[in-house]
Amino acid sequence: MELGSQRRNSRLIKVTLLIMTFWASIPVFWILRDVGRMIFAPIIYFDNGIFFTWLKNTSIFVGSALSISVICCITAGFVLAVLDVPFRRFLLFATLVTMLIPITAMAMPLYVMIDGIGLNDTLLGLILASSFFPFGALLSYLYYTSVLPPDLVGMGRIDGLGDFGIYRYLGIPLSKSLISVVTFFCFVSLWNSYHLPRILLVEPSKSIMSIGIEAFYGQGTTLIAIIMVIPSVLLYLASQKTIARGIFSGAVKE
Amino acid sequence: MDGGFETFLLVLEDFRVGPAIFNVLFLLAVFVPLMIITVLSVSLLLDSVHFKYDRATRLVFLIPGLIPVAVAVLFWSSVVGYDVVWDKSNIRWMIGAISFSTGIGSWIIIQHGSLRSISQEVLEAGVVDGCNRFQLAWRLKLPMISRYVAYMVILLIVGALQIFNEPNLLMYSNMTTDWSPSQIAFTYAFKNADFAGGVALSLIMLIPNVILALLFVLNSDFMKKSKNSWN
Repeated sequence: MELGSQRRNSRLIKVTLLIMTFWASIPVFWILRDVGRMIFAPIIYFDNGIFFTWLKNTSIFVGSALSISVICCITAGFVLAVLDVPFRRFLLFATLVTMLIPITAMAMPLYVMIDGIGLNDTLLGLILASSFFPFGALLSYLYYTSVLPPDLVGMGRIDGLGDFGIYRYLGIPLSKSLISVVTFFCFVSLWNSYHLPRILLVEPSKSIMSIGIEAFYGQGTTLIAIIMVIPSVLLYLASQKTIARGIFSGAVKE
Repeated sequence: MDGGFETFLLVLEDFRVGPAIFNVLFLLAVFVPLMIITVLSVSLLLDSVHFKYDRATRLVFLIPGLIPVAVAVLFWSSVVGYDVVWDKSNIRWMIGAISFSTGIGSWIIIQHGSLRSISQEVLEAGVVDGCNRFQLAWRLKLPMISRYVAYMVILLIVGALQIFNEPNLLMYSNMTTDWSPSQIAFTYAFKNADFAGGVALSLIMLIPNVILALLFVLNSDFMKKSKNSWN
């Protein structure tokens, strides 16, 4: 009891100290903010701060497209690797071929489709058009073929799990490193995606960063390059541990 | 052109297509093997020792691939320089070098991950049987990640066949507008507003890719369903 109250007191003291330090260093922060504004001036004040609109659009686009494609990839990989679906070989081959079609051949039909449902020049249209990632689906397929041996699936079946149960209780818990790998690669490809947004988005106010940065040629290019690379590097460092733990570390020990 | 069979013939008669295909074949002959060897050797080397700066190494390999396309134009133009314009034999090596340095990083990460997942018991058994590091890599690790290696090989070949970004980056400084078949297809579709021609060329380029994919699928156990890992 004594110890508990002491710990609480010391925590209170620490928090108070932190608050007071922050309060005392406000002038320093003020200067730092001004320095930051000076360094980033060519970006922040460009065209009435259109940079922040692009940033917002990019986060909406990458966030939604990323979640849709990662969920689809992992589910598709699981289904193709573990369950008995009709046309399994055909589906796998189709996924492989989708990856082989050059983006040039793909861009125009996608544009026509998106235009046909009236989503041209909207973020929603771009999200729909970009939310597929065959590379990730095949990676998940390779992963699940080695991580979920038939024995394990059989045990799950004996315990009374249906197809969805196996996905929920075996597939997802085993796929931590897979999710981080697929998320990383999907994020990079979306964050840097250039062709589709270039064709689909017209108005500058609806544009995203990977296209918008063309406006900064000559002024603050290096700065924007660094800003654009940082998120990918951070995501890599964050997912590093799970990636390194092994793309396919088996679940069953002999 | 409105499409139809003659579109294919007309596209093939284009004077730019021949050199473009030759360029791509050059990449296939020189840089794709180089990339495969580099990726495998770097990931096997990283896996064979306990290297302190292992994380940083992989990050350094990765970074050139993370630069967004629009900025990469300026980056690579300043790296390659503007004075190789008149020497067209040089530009081939430059584009190969760019695709090399942007392409290997992500594959090193994938292969490193697949190597890390080989069960420790197998490797210990190899050591007990008297393998040195090289034999461990050559006889045990490589065969065990062969599916991932096959996947990588086919994607690298396909990537070289439909290379677009790298020559496009040097478009303004080094006049590589119609350097690769993909670029010519792009020119057809989006600059000449001749979509049929663009698609015809893309479909022609798709043929070798599909043949490769079929070879890959039929000759490896890629299509097999999940199997017990110790078999």
